[in-house]
Amino acid sequence: MKRRIAVLTFPGTNSEDETLRLLRDCGGDAYLVHWSRAEMLSQYDAYVLPGGFAYEDRIRAGAVAAFDPAMEYVIAGARSGKLVLGICNGAQILLEAGLVPGTGELRRPTAAFTDNRPSGHFICRHVYAKLAVDPDRSPITAGLPAGAVVPAYASNGEGCLTAPAQRLRELQDRGHVAFVYSHADGTLGEDAIPNGSALGCAGLLNVEGNILAIMPHPERDAWNFQHLERRIGEDALAPSGGAVLFRSFVEAVNR
Amino acid sequence: MALRPDEIERIAEQLGRDPTDVELYAFDAQWSEHCSYKSSRRFLSRLPTTSPDVIVGPGEDAGIVRLGEHAGATYAIVVAHESHNHPSQVVPFEGAATGIGGVVRDVLCMGAHVIGVADPLRFGRTEDRDAHQRYVARSAVDGIGAYGNAIGVPNVAGDVYFEEGFDDNCLVNVVALGVLKESDIIHSAAPRGADGWDLVLVGKATDESGFGGASFSSVTLDEDDEEANKGAVQVPDPFLKNVLMRASYRVFEMLRERGVVAACKDLGAGGLMGCSAELASAGGYGAEIDLDRVNVAIDGLPPYVIAIGEAQERLLWAMPHAATAEVLRIYNEEFSLPQLSHNARASIVGRITAEKRYVLQHRGVAVMDVDIDVLTGKIADDLPYVECIRHQPAGAELPAVDVERVFPKILTHRDVCSREPLYRRYDWAVRGTTVLPRGAADAGVLAPVPGSRLGVALAVAGNPRYGAIDAAYAAEAAVLEATRRVIAVGARPVALTDCLNFGNPRDPEQYGMLASAVDGLARAARELGLPFVSGNVSLYNESAGGSAVPASAIVSCIGTIEDVGATILPGLQRAGSALLWVGSRELAAGGSVLADVLGITSNLPEISYDAERSAIAIVQRAMSAGVLLSCRAVGDGGMLTALARLAFDARAAGRDLGAELDFGNPFCETGGFLCEVSDDSELNLTGILKVGETIDRAQLVVNGTAFDVDELHKTWSRPLEELYR
Repeated sequence: MKRRIAVLTFPGTNSEDETLRLLRDCGGDAYLVHWSRAEMLSQYDAYVLPGGFAYEDRIRAGAVAAFDPAMEYVIAGARSGKLVLGICNGAQILLEAGLVPGTGELRRPTAAFTDNRPSGHFICRHVYAKLAVDPDRSPITAGLPAGAVVPAYASNGEGCLTAPAQRLRELQDRGHVAFVYSHADGTLGEDAIPNGSALGCAGLLNVEGNILAIMPHPERDAWNFQHLERRIGEDALAPSGGAVLFRSFVEAVNR
Repeated sequence: MALRPDEIERIAEQLGRDPTDVELYAFDAQWSEHCSYKSSRRFLSRLPTTSPDVIVGPGEDAGIVRLGEHAGATYAIVVAHESHNHPSQVVPFEGAATGIGGVVRDVLCMGAHVIGVADPLRFGRTEDRDAHQRYVARSAVDGIGAYGNAIGVPNVAGDVYFEEGFDDNCLVNVVALGVLKESDIIHSAAPRGADGWDLVLVGKATDESGFGGASFSSVTLDEDDEEANKGAVQVPDPFLKNVLMRASYRVFEMLRERGVVAACKDLGAGGLMGCSAELASAGGYGAEIDLDRVNVAIDGLPPYVIAIGEAQERLLWAMPHAATAEVLRIYNEEFSLPQLSHNARASIVGRITAEKRYVLQHRGVAVMDVDIDVLTGKIADDLPYVECIRHQPAGAELPAVDVERVFPKILTHRDVCSREPLYRRYDWAVRGTTVLPRGAADAGVLAPVPGSRLGVALAVAGNPRYGAIDAAYAAEAAVLEATRRVIAVGARPVALTDCLNFGNPRDPEQYGMLASAVDGLARAARELGLPFVSGNVSLYNESAGGSAVPASAIVSCIGTIEDVGATILPGLQRAGSALLWVGSRELAAGGSVLADVLGITSNLPEISYDAERSAIAIVQRAMSAGVLLSCRAVGDGGMLTALARLAFDARAAGRDLGAELDFGNPFCETGGFLCEVSDDSELNLTGILKVGETIDRAQLVVNGTAFDVDELHKTWSRPLEELYR
């Protein structure tokens, strides 16, 4: 039997429909669950936190949502080994909740995605996120080839990973930095990083590897029609690069 | 108040008594230009508004056109076009943000999911570091981004011009698109059998914000009234709107499942009074509202503020009582509005009545009780006007241009250079339906129906350099340019919208420009066989000193696409293909960027509808023959600018391509298309000129002078970086 995935929305979430659609396209048995129905979350086997501006990004992106009662269910599920994927604002919530990188206390974040540098404002830009850990480091990435390059959109005002230097080194050395920004061919460079993120970090894993917080949106470059570098004659509805991460996640949930 | 003494007399005459305070404010709003179109309606009836594609024409909150079939259902596109000029000049962030907020509600209340927005902007000159115009140009863009991003609606089209004529009055126009099944349209008139239905007010608690907004936008801005003007600007709350939209989508679904017919209308100008009166009277009913049941932000608000204040993020439903409880549950519990914003909620505030009176109760007293047809009836100001004149004499013959010297000046011109520093603040990828994003092509394209190949294209146009010379010409050119842009991405144009941004109608010359512009729109639309389905009029765009904005009929064109896979992709596609110029090759540069750069006057290019239709037919034939590889409409900066954009877009997609081009003056803005084709043998070569070929290196070789595409791109990218850093 397929396992059930909850796409959890908060007031201010804005990317739930396309996230749900892609999960289903990738074979996931996924459903929207609103914050007001949080008690239903315990019946689900995995959680996806989509992008948006939960609680208006008051204080800091994700800071208020991390205290929403719904997060108790996510925390309990994650501790029991359920898989959790947070995208953009969802990623920010996971960091604010202390689930990622998961090296400190709950809701005492040890790293955060903060104001984009140097612009200080919202930026929408097509980017590539390159897998920077062994695929088997996490069940969520296990379906990707080593060094996979995932096309996506950075669409956020606070996507710059920020932490003290010592902690950044630990994140790097202990395999938390799951994705880094790269060029299309996988080469790295400052100009591939849209927001000054430390370590060029686009995504972080927790210690156990069952929670992934990724800033750019793969669901916005997951069908050919969304992919600007598509070729004449390619089927508009066929999957494009961003779908691979969701497929790997769904496979891991159903495994 | 904008009411004139003679209008107040007329109200007293029609009521047979002196109006109450509340009634006076109510008529002030309803009889404002903004709500009544009293000085523009006589012209607007000249616009064509029907076609086989039109489902709902002008008259409701938004127009609706047919998109196509998918999975046994007919889908349709909802479109609304609004302006928020006065508010954006006074408080640009809030003014522009509420512009987006308002137009989005116009689309939402038709029962649609909101799928995209566009923002035609006109700002003053921003070179002076201390200029207020810089503040307006920056903050308005920030406001549009902040609002659209938060509600999760992609910004897929728009344009911006920086001209002196907008120094004292910016223009912030906004267009919104929605999608729905044709069978799911919700109308804004109370339907047959609505007697006794509940009136359900949904959204933000009413406060004093935006009180008098309708009449404020219907007079000339006076700087001395700065504080009062600021109070008339509404306060945006995109966070609440995000939830209100999603809750409303759920309500649409529930009503559909239960087969309940209801009416819905956005609260805009004139607040609860304007909205409820129009909803009821459009169905031939009256309405009675108890102001004590309206959710307010603070106690003690006077009844006229509760009734007429324009607090944002509110909708009004009329529905049979049997459905109300479930609707209240969805808004108040499932989407928990009261927990998200102080006293936000859905509540029953009144009812539809068979008797055609409009009655407001406040603390047990009827503070307003009037014949609803008098309140919402059409009024007209038949003001005098003079025939519009062309302001620029014919120029001398065009001098030969030095391409090497002029091309960089064209690319760095404020109306040509890259808009990316501005639109990268807009989320143009949210919803995951964007096929051609902002800036990638002449029009934005969306695939709005999940799982279907259907697409919709949206483009805007309205060149103020033409507007400063000839209002009618500018209007015609706007229709042509918006339409060409939609064609250039491979869409079939199906409908137009317009916003008429003009000066004071009491100035016979300004009023004459409005009349001529409408004639221009009507002529161009008829010639192309396109209907106007939605529109807006914004007058009094003048400073206290009396200087009005350039005549600005801003137009949007909506196109449909059967298979988004056949959308023309951005940028040159391959080396060795032919570059064709399809369109007029007249040597005229009136109103062009070239004329501005060289400081010359020149004739306005002649508009020939025969030539236009034949150019469109050629492009469409190339497309259906499968030989059209890339395409750009020729607009600001002329053909060479169009070619540069094709090369830049190829570069962005990782293709190092360029072109060799031979053409005497490649900067004339005479319209037409620049097309990259793989094979031109299929095309009838009448009206086509082969101007060059694509090459496999990133270079543009123009009349023998070579330009490096990377260098050109840098030149073109920089100018707005500083303003929008």
